[in-house]
Order: sequence, then structure tokens, then C-alpha cells
Amino acid sequence: MSLASLTKDWAATSYGFLDASAKRELRRKMLKAIAVPGCQMPYASREVPMARGWGTGGLQVTLTLVNPASTVKVIDQGADDGVNAASIRRFISRVSGAAETWDTLSASIVQSRHRVPEEVMREDQILVLQVPNPEPLRGVEPNMSIARQMHADADYGKLWLTLYEQIVRKGRIMQGAAYPSMVNGRHVMTPSPIPRWDVPKLNMAKHLTFLSAGREKRLFAVPPFTRVEPLVFSDRPYQVEEHAHLTCRRSGLSGYFMNEIPQDNGGSTFEVSDSNLGIKAIQKAEGAPTEIGETWYRDGEYSA
Amino acid sequence: MLTVAPPDAIELRCNSTFQALMWALSRPGDARVMPEAGLAGIAETLVDLECTVFADTPDLREAVSASGALVTGDVSRADHVFLSSLENAADQIVQLRCGSPLYPDDGATLIVAARHAGQRLRLSGPGIEEPTEISLDAPPAFWAMRAMLCAYPEGFDCFFVDAGSVIGIPRSTKVEVL
Repeated sequence: MSLASLTKDWAATSYGFLDASAKRELRRKMLKAIAVPGCQMPYASREVPMARGWGTGGLQVTLTLVNPASTVKVIDQGADDGVNAASIRRFISRVSGAAETWDTLSASIVQSRHRVPEEVMREDQILVLQVPNPEPLRGVEPNMSIARQMHADADYGKLWLTLYEQIVRKGRIMQGAAYPSMVNGRHVMTPSPIPRWDVPKLNMAKHLTFLSAGREKRLFAVPPFTRVEPLVFSDRPYQVEEHAHLTCRRSGLSGYFMNEIPQDNGGSTFEVSDSNLGIKAIQKAEGAPTEIGETWYRDGEYSA
Repeated sequence: MLTVAPPDAIELRCNSTFQALMWALSRPGDARVMPEAGLAGIAETLVDLECTVFADTPDLREAVSASGALVTGDVSRADHVFLSSLENAADQIVQLRCGSPLYPDDGATLIVAARHAGQRLRLSGPGIEEPTEISLDAPPAFWAMRAMLCAYPEGFDCFFVDAGSVIGIPRSTKVEVL
């Protein structure tokens, strides 16, 4: 063993921004996350040139996965052109040389905040979700040591209680996003603040999903073909948002998750939340050659 | 304008090896191709000075210690266990760390050289759409011991390496010996 064999040549930056030891730590944790679906694995969460809480967890997972042959799509609330999404996508491609895309079909890695794309993801694609609060028990148990013990005991009674209280008080379940979901029949996870509309897309999916919280320093995963069951009572079926009848004012699409645009007259109009799906629909209507993939929802009904 | 730091050979190799390991573990029973044959490439990809490693051959011990990891002779302390064979390895397997209910991630990762032929197994669980059958050269006693040690979510995760090809069996997979 010589000094030369123990050292590396000088380089201005590491490939993909993260240094090799940070990547190895993430790799180890990502493998454990896959092995125990839905179980939160602690990790170091290094500094990246972005404030914690703006997608640093997802960014670190993406930077570990990315290589020059990757094609990266980043969305923020379904849109590719949001400031946060555009900045993250440009940063990833700058430090890795990976290609950028807006198209779900051509992406190898989709990093997302708050939405799962409407087009069905393939078995070779990876979805990376940015998670602000990875702990489904946070609302009922602020002490994280006790919450950990509750996960160890599969003690999720208090989550059922919050859902029950919502039904008693409001007549229906009010949980709009981050709907607690049982993964592989063992661990309850919060599927990040994706709407109820998107949770069925994770159940028995073809793609691999990583959920990473940079600020909270935890990551978890949903491997392909893994059961993800929203917590529901047997006499209260799971309901997604009632967007099936809404029509996008720009693309004319209907039956997908919509953004509500308030109007001056007190009413509102709607735009399809998966913005690139809307763009593709407009291009198709104008006669441009566009490929729209199969979608999880058809005519507003989940049908995968 | 920032110039992209080109990936060096090590980075490309580790990235590609990790993709193989990740997909192998995501789809148990699916063989994935690694850029380099053998166990040393996996050590290079996963292990560094934060790890405690058991390896059963001098070559592997050398490869692992080059990464800065602590090489131990005590399997029960190791988070990564490299075995060149499952023959006569019962003493080591029984000591594998399985984590705790509080910290399932403390379970060990077992990386073992085994031919992807021989004993028929039926796999089911996360990552597997329909129960699939594979061949893996691991003795039935190993699977019996695994079933005894792995009380989900506690347990250890296995990679079976046959030359450049790897099969992953996470603790979540149910294995039936046929």
C-alpha cells in the first residue's frame, strides 16, 4: 500500500456534485429502504446548494442515481416550468451532463414535488418524490422516539382515530394530501403531499419510487409491485378528488387532476395540473406529431 | 458557465454497479448485469470507512480494507458480510445482524458468490408481480436459517453474485424451497 494508492487525483468538483462517500452512504440507505418498503431510513443528508425544504432530499437521491446517459424530468405541483423545478433540473444537468426533458415518457428519472405524472410510468423509470414531512405519526405523536416505537409495534391506532374524527366532525375524510398509506401490509408511510388522486398510482406500480426528506434526513421507498393501501374504513371507501367532470380551459382535457384558477367574478376555471400532458394535448390538437402515453386515469376513473 | 466534471472510471463503475444492485433488490429474482464480475466491485460501490465488514477470503479482505472500512472477524459486528461460498458458512449466517424493530436498517447486507443454477426456489413478495421460480445454488439449510432469523421487518438482505450477474433477495421476499 502506497500513498498514491490511497489518494485520488485532484479534481475541481465531484461528478454529480455529491462526493463519493455521500453517494455510498445514500446507496446503502436506498438499498435498505427498498428491502423494507415504507420504512423510514435515517441518512446524513449533506449540504447541497439549495435551502433545506426546497427538495434537497429528492435532489440527493437523484444526484446519486444520475449518470451521463440519464434523462431527467423535474416537476413542481405537476408543472415543469416552475422556478423550483426548472432550477433543480438545470442544476442536475449542469453537474451531471444528464439530458433534460419535460416529457414523462422519455425520462429515466422523474423528480417530483407534490404530484405523480398522469402518464403511466414504465418499469425502467424511477420516481423521486421530495418529502417535507416523512413521519405520518407527526400529527398524533410529536415525540419522534415514541413515534419510532409506534412504527416498531405497528401501532397505528391514532391515525385511524384522526380519520374517524374527520368523519364524525365533517361527514367525510378531510385529509387532502399526504394520505397515510399502509405499505406492504406493515409500515404506514406518508406518500409526501401528493393528492389523494395520486396515491393509487403507487399501488402495485411498475416503477420504483424513492421518497426522500432532506430536512428531516430520512428516506423510504416503494419498490415495484408493492401494495400501497390508503387507510380506510370498510364502510367508507377511499375517495379521490372530484375532478373527473372538470375540463382544462387551455387544453380541453378532462378527467385529470386540475388546478383551480380563481376568477374575478368569484367563480373559478381549471387547468390540468400535469402541465406537460396539457402541452402535449394542445400540440396534438394543432396537428404536431405528439405521443401521449397511456394514463392511469381514463375519463376520470382510475383504471390501471 | 460551469463545466461538467466528467465522471471518472470509478464513478461510472460504481454508478452502474449500484443500478444493478438497486434493480436486483427491487425485483427479487431478476438477474442484473454488473460492469465487473465478482464481489470486489460491490465492495467498492457500497463500503467505506463508515462500515464494518466481514470477508472470508484474504483477497476480499484486502479489497475491503482499501476502502477504509473496518475489517472484522466477528460476523455479528459486521454491517456488510462478503462470503465466497455458502458451503460450511452456517456458523457465519447464524450470527448475521438482523437489526431491531426500532432500527430495521441495522440488518446486515450479505453478499455471496453463488451460481444462478441448481436449487429451485419460488419467490413472492414486494417487487414480484406473480410468484416466480428461479434457480440458485444455495443449500435448503440456508433458507431455513433465513426464515428463522428474518422476522420482518427485521432481517438481512442478500445479493447472490454469479460472475458479472447479481440476484437480490431482500428480507421482504418470501422464499419457498421447491
